[in-house]
Parts: sequence; structure tokens; C-alpha cells
Amino acid sequence: MSTLIEFKDVVKEYKSGDNVLRAMDNVSFTIDEGEFVVILGPSGAGKSTLLNLLGGLDSATNGQIIVDGEHVENFDDNELTEYRANNVGFIFQFYNLIPNLTAVENVELMKDIVDVDIDGCAVLKSVGLENHANQFPAQLSGGEQQRVSIARAVAKQPTMLLCDEPTGALDSKTGVLILNLLQEMSNDKNTTVIIVTHNAILAEAADKVIRIKNGQIEDISINVNPKKVEDLDW
Amino acid sequence: MAFLGVFVFAGVGGESVGLEVNSNNFYQDTNLADGWIYSANLDNDFVDKVNNLSSTTQCERQLVIDSVGNFSNDPDITLHFVENNTISKFYLLEGEELNISDADGVWIDKSFADAKDLNVGDNISFTFNGITVEKEIKGIGYSPEYVYHASTASVIPDFNKIGFAYMSYKAFPMDNVPYNVLNVKFDGNAGDYDSLLSDKLAGDYNSFVEKAEHSSVSQFSEEMDQHKMMSGIFPVVFILIAMLILLTTMTRIISHQRTQIGILKANGFTNTSIIFHYVSYGFWLVLIGSILGLIIGPLTLPQLFYPSMSATYKLPSWQPVWSMDFVYVAVLMVIMSLIVSYLAVRSISNENPADTIRPKSPKVSSSGFVEKIGVWKRLSFNARWNYRDAKRNKFRALMTVIGVMGCSALLVCAFGMYDGMNDLKEWEYSQINHYDSKLVIDEDAITSEINDVAEDVNGDKIMESAIEIEAGNIKKSGSLLVLNDTDLITPTDYDWNKIKIANDEVSISQKMADLLDVGVGDTVKFHIMGSDKWVNVTINKIHADPISQGFVMSTDKLDDLGLNYTPTSIVTEKHVDSNYSAIKSTSSMKDMTASWDELTESMWLLIYILIFFASLLAIVVLYNLGLLSFTEIEREIATLKVLGFKTGALRRLLLTQNLWFTAIGFVLGLPVGYYILKIMWESSGDSFYILPSISITNFILTAIITFALSIFVNLLFSRKIKKLDMVESLKGVE
Repeated sequence: MSTLIEFKDVVKEYKSGDNVLRAMDNVSFTIDEGEFVVILGPSGAGKSTLLNLLGGLDSATNGQIIVDGEHVENFDDNELTEYRANNVGFIFQFYNLIPNLTAVENVELMKDIVDVDIDGCAVLKSVGLENHANQFPAQLSGGEQQRVSIARAVAKQPTMLLCDEPTGALDSKTGVLILNLLQEMSNDKNTTVIIVTHNAILAEAADKVIRIKNGQIEDISINVNPKKVEDLDW
Repeated sequence: MAFLGVFVFAGVGGESVGLEVNSNNFYQDTNLADGWIYSANLDNDFVDKVNNLSSTTQCERQLVIDSVGNFSNDPDITLHFVENNTISKFYLLEGEELNISDADGVWIDKSFADAKDLNVGDNISFTFNGITVEKEIKGIGYSPEYVYHASTASVIPDFNKIGFAYMSYKAFPMDNVPYNVLNVKFDGNAGDYDSLLSDKLAGDYNSFVEKAEHSSVSQFSEEMDQHKMMSGIFPVVFILIAMLILLTTMTRIISHQRTQIGILKANGFTNTSIIFHYVSYGFWLVLIGSILGLIIGPLTLPQLFYPSMSATYKLPSWQPVWSMDFVYVAVLMVIMSLIVSYLAVRSISNENPADTIRPKSPKVSSSGFVEKIGVWKRLSFNARWNYRDAKRNKFRALMTVIGVMGCSALLVCAFGMYDGMNDLKEWEYSQINHYDSKLVIDEDAITSEINDVAEDVNGDKIMESAIEIEAGNIKKSGSLLVLNDTDLITPTDYDWNKIKIANDEVSISQKMADLLDVGVGDTVKFHIMGSDKWVNVTINKIHADPISQGFVMSTDKLDDLGLNYTPTSIVTEKHVDSNYSAIKSTSSMKDMTASWDELTESMWLLIYILIFFASLLAIVVLYNLGLLSFTEIEREIATLKVLGFKTGALRRLLLTQNLWFTAIGFVLGLPVGYYILKIMWESSGDSFYILPSISITNFILTAIITFALSIFVNLLFSRKIKKLDMVESLKGVE
């Protein structure tokens, strides 16, 4: 498997007045194509910062971020937007669907930004929501909304799926379903899935676990035989 | 917004109330006559008779006589030799009070004095009936009978050429002063007094003119009516829109404070104290805005109008006056905001704190008819999103449309006024009147002299007289134009097509026909002012004229009616410079158009102000609503941005909606503007006839301005989109 993402000595500092807060301190790691990666850490450890940098929402202060051979750290705003559109499929804790659009419209929305022909119904079917295609987000349950959001993210065939606490707002049963779906995406379709969470249990299901603490990498471990999500001890 | 609304309302209102109060004060201070009785010889006997009439309270004789001032341009000075000057008193600005025993002094018109650079102490001489008198200027001031004073040659005064002067009867060069005007004050209404006069004193006098018909008084009151009309329409439009905006803003400000209210409640604040807090918050803002508007409006806006008006009208004081109406409107504004904020807060504070503390759950969209038709599938995301957003926020959509509608209506109105004024000029001074010079014939000139002049300048004689027309119960004053075959004055219809009025025909102007509610075939009666001989005429044609309403007929027809043909002017293609003894004054087409331009100056100003405020209105409405909706959809926008939508695409998303609403508002605004324009022109006075219309260029300009504003406001948001913090917006609860 080839390396898809590489972080090299990445530093991120936030300035507020005279104070400089170093949220990310010399972080280096690699993620391979098709890997199911879990980034673990307590709150305040720098998870969000990592996610923002990876997702192209923010630029690093120092270091290199190489995704698919491209140096993301050099991108300007427009290139970052382009990068997000083509490479990153976001899945948010709070789904962030567009309330004005139906499920299928939310998925097909992606046609506007990427050059891919999307059959919204087919994608919804792959997440098991073919019967809810014409409903609005407010008419769907949280788990259903998250599945629409996954459908939306995968529809554009991104380089990676970036999930920020994807089960954070769901009950555990629904959460398992969602994580299961994400794991399947990784295993069956060779999609790179990166999940940022504080839930340590998930570590056992990952191909690779990156633990961060105080803005630094604490540990990177690789599971040779990751468990299936449904087999985890919730 | 409260400020802007009250500002415009009180400002324009203050201007028009100011005019009314100032002129009324002036009329009252100077004891303006209630009526004027004209007669060739007003002897003591007649004065006694008038005094004996039960309703007469006061009367006083004067000799009013036209003279020529000894200046290079032969200005027309109307001389008043007064017996007492207790009625229609001379209003002194400089020098000493008019002294009735002073035989050597003259009190002259301020505007004329300014134009000629005359001062108290200077000498001035006048020539009338071959007599020249020279007097010393003792005072300079105004007269209530000359608020508006223009020559017969043009409606617009040129103070270099026209003036008036007051003198004591002792200053008259002969012992026996042939008084010809009796100023009267009386109780009761003018109509009754008129009938009383004609009952008791028939034959002893020529005519009676009541105050309302006096040319100065009526012209000025027409002007005031116009201003009142404007202060009636525009500020009301502004106030309404200001109130609507206030409504939305208050509701939205409060619903944005929702979680805050929840926290306050959770912490144990009572409903009453929360309601009080938020209601007073809006209250103070609106109160301060309204008070500022009340103060600043009347102080500033009238100052924009008065200078150009004082070029035409002679009033000693041009002060904006405050009226209680403004306060009522401001109070209404404040009360409205109180009610609205109260209702908005109450609806929130009545919920239980656990619900309040969370943002209101988004309104559920639903599929409707539009989604079912085939086209929907083919619509872009942009169109779908905007359609549903508008549907979900009907109130906001409606407000935006109304705001834009107001803006485009005001713009149509402003440009329509502009076009109307230009049309009028073109119509009157190019389409109807083609002469180069108009020579006003001296009243004392004899026929042979007149004919000599006419031949000399190769001109055509015309007769213009003030007349009074009666049809049914309606009496209107108008003008009579008697023409022989001439190419220099060609009546037209309302489409500017020349119409031929045959020798035996009488044509009535469209406006006059409308005022009297008559048409072709109807018979009406009229008399020439100064004579009480009423004649009946049957209307054969209808012509249209923008500034002169009445009849057009030939000399033959006039003869048929048994009226004397007395030419009053000669019109000619030639440019006439030379002086003739039979000619009182000469004015060229250029003079007339120039003075017309001067008259319309205040109009232009009004138009610019209108355009400015209309634009401001559109910006405020669009920005205000845009901002509020932006905060509502911030999260959505942030999501789209995270997903990879470019700033430009997001801006287009917002722009699309703005443009749709702008287009709808614009289309709706057109008829509204047209209607306001129509009302305006109709109320512009009995003598004006202007059709509401707007030229293609200005129509396009209106469209361009409206849409440009919409796009401009949108650009303001593109910065916001760029700066939008994606990470922050994505946090928080759903």
C-alpha cells in the first residue's frame, strides 16, 4: 500500500495578542491508502487542529503536509477550497446537512463542486436510505442524517473521508451502525477513512491508531488484525 | 431606520408646514386684504357704500398703476399710491416705516432693489401716462400682494425686470387721485360678499377679486399644495418602510438573543424583568433615533428647498416650522417598536427555559407543487436552495420585495418627474410655441400703432386674457387665447400632434375639460376677467397644453360671441431688440426657457433627494435583511464552504435570491411609482397638465440603479463569506 498522507514536523501556532499558543508541536506521521485510521486524544490535545490541517480548513505554521504527492501547506485559499472539494469527504459530529434540501438533493449537491456524475439515489441506497431520498433533514433521525452525510461525503469519491466525532451526537447503537458503515467503506472500497475521536474503544477496530496529547504525538500503533466495529465491547 | 423615517417625514413636513405658517403669519402681520374691488373711479361716495355693507369691516383705497422704471432695461414697476396702508401693509425690512404724510418717499420691493443694487436714500424715477416722478427710497421691503409677482410675458419672475413700489397718495403729482382699487376686509365667506356687492352696488364697480383668486396668493397656495402633496406621499412611504424594517429588525434581534434569554431564565430572572429589559433596549434605540430625526429633519431638509424657492417667491421669512404631527408619527413609531419587541420577547419567554436555552429548531421545509413538476429536477442546486429558503422565510422575502418596491417606485417617480419637466419644456417651448420673441402690447396703445409694430417685426397678433369658466356648479379661472392664422403658435393634442382649430370652433384644454367635467358638444359659459359679460360657448375640440388651461379660438369666433378683440401680444420669428412705444415689454424664447429652468431648479433638487433616499432605502433594506438572513444561514454557508464551495459560488447563492427579490420588487414598484407620479402631476395645480410618463433611458436607468444596489449590497457580504470562520461555525449544537 502506498503512502497517501504524510505529516512532516508540522507546527501550528495560534496568536492572540502577545500570547502564542502552540497547538501542534512537530507532528509527523503517515497514512496509507485505504487505511482505517483512528486519531485518539483527550479534549484539548490538538485533535481538532490536526483535523483542520488535514481537511484544508487551516494552514500550518511550519512543516510539510503532503497529500497524494501535493504539498498542501503551500496552498492559498482558493487551492485549499479546491483541495477540500476534490480530496476530502467531511463527516461532522452534527451532520451539517443543508436543511433546505432533501436527502437526495444534499447528496447531489456535490455535483456543483466536483466533476463527477452522481446518482444520488444509488449513493443513498449504499447507505441504506433509498426510502428516505425525498425527505428533508429535519424529518430524519440523527442516525439517518449521519448516513446522508456519509453518502454526501462518499458521493464525490474523495481521497479520504475525514470524520470528526461521527458518533458523538448519536446513541451507541446507532453509532455502531455508522462506524460499521465507515469501516466497510474502508475495507470494501479501499477508501481511506480517518476518524477523530476521544473514544478509546474504537482503537481496536482501526488499522492504525495515532494517539496525541498536548499537541504532540504520543504513540502510533498498528493493528495487524483489527476487530470489526460490531465486535467491539461497547 | 427610525431616525431616517422620522427625519424625512419631519424634514419635508417641516418644509411644507413652514411655508404655510410663514405665509399665513406674513399675511396676518400685514393685514392682507380679503378682496379687491376694481373700478375706474372710486369716489368717497362708493367707499361709503361699501362701508355701509353689513359684512365690511375695513376698506381702503389705492391707485394701482403700471409704470416703467428709468433703467436701461425699462423694468415694469407697479406703483401703489395708498390712502392709508392699513390693509395689505408694506412689510418693511430696511429704512423707515411707510409714512402717509411723506410726499417725497417711495418704498420699494426688496427683490427689485437687490437686482438693481438700490439702497435706502437712493433716488428712483418712474414714468407713467407720460408723467415722470422722481422719489427718494425711504424703505425696502415686501408686500403680501406680491409674494409671487411675474409679468404677463412669463410665469417666472425676473426681478431685474419687474418690481413694485408703494407711495403715499400725497406723492401723486395731481391733487385728485383717481383711485382704482379698493382693498376690503370683510366677515364671512368671499362668495357671499361677492353676491352682496353685485346685489347692492351693481354697476358701480368693474370687478371683485377675492383673496383666493388673487394671482400672488393663489400661485403661492398652489405651490404650497404641491409641497403638501409631496410631504404627503414620500415621507409616508418612508415611514411605512421604516416601520416595516423596524418590525423585522426587532423581531430578529430578539430571536437572536434567544439563548441569552434562556440563560437569564434558567438563572431565575422573572419573565417581567426579561421582557422589560429587551423591550426597553429597543425602546431607547428607537426613541433616540426618532428624537434625532425630529430635531435634525426640520433643521436640514427645508434648507435644501428654501433657497431655490426664495428665488421665485418673496416672503420675509423662510423658517421650517415644527408641527405636532411629526411628534405623533415619532410616538407611533416608538409605540410600534414597543409592541413588536414585547410580542417577540413574550413568545420566547413563555417557553420553558430548557427549550429557550437551545436555538429554535429550524423550520421544516416541505415539498410543494413546484417540486412535483418536471422542471424541478433540472434546476441547479442554487435555484432549489433559494426557492426553498424564500419559501421558508416568507416574511423576510416579503419585506425585501416591499423594500425594493418602495425603492423602485420612488426612482420611477423621481425620473418620471425629471422627464415630465423636460417634456413640459419641450412641449410648451418647442412644440406649441415656435416664435422667437413675444412683444407685450401696452394697454394704452392704439390699433394703428400696434399694426405698425406687427408689420415691422413681421409678427402675428394674439390675444391672451384671463377668464373665468363655469360649467354646472364648477367655476374655474383659466386663460383665453385668440389666434389668427399663425404658424408661430400651434395647439396640439396630448400626443403633441398639431391640431387645427377652424375659424368657427372653440377648443378647450384637456385639463380644463377634466376640471369642469365637460367634453366636446357641451356648452359652458365664461367671462373675461374685468368684465362681467358672460357668454355661452359650445366646445368643438379638445387640445392639450402643459401650462395654460382654457380656451383657444379665432378672432372670428370671438366676434361671433360678441366679445371685443383686443390683441395683447405680438409674436414673431424674428429676434426683436428694438423698443416700440406701443410695446410694454419684449421677451425672447430664450428668456422664457431660461426662467423656466430657474423655476424648476427646486424640482431638480427634490428629484436628486428622492433618488438619494430611494437608493439609501434599498441599501438599508437589502443590507439589513441580508445581514439577518446571513446570520441565520451562517452555518449552512460554512458547511458549504467546508465542503469545497468557492466564495464566488456562495456569493452567487446569496446574490441569486437578492436578484430575484429585486426583480419582483422592481416589477411591482413600476405601477406603484407610476401611480404616485400620476397623483403628483394631477395635484400640481390647476394650470399644469403633465402626463405621467418615463423615458426608455430613464426607465433603464431605474432598472440599473435598482439592480446595481442589489449587487452592491451583495458585495458587502462577499467579504463576510471570505472571513467566515469555518471551524467555529461548525461547532455548537444542532
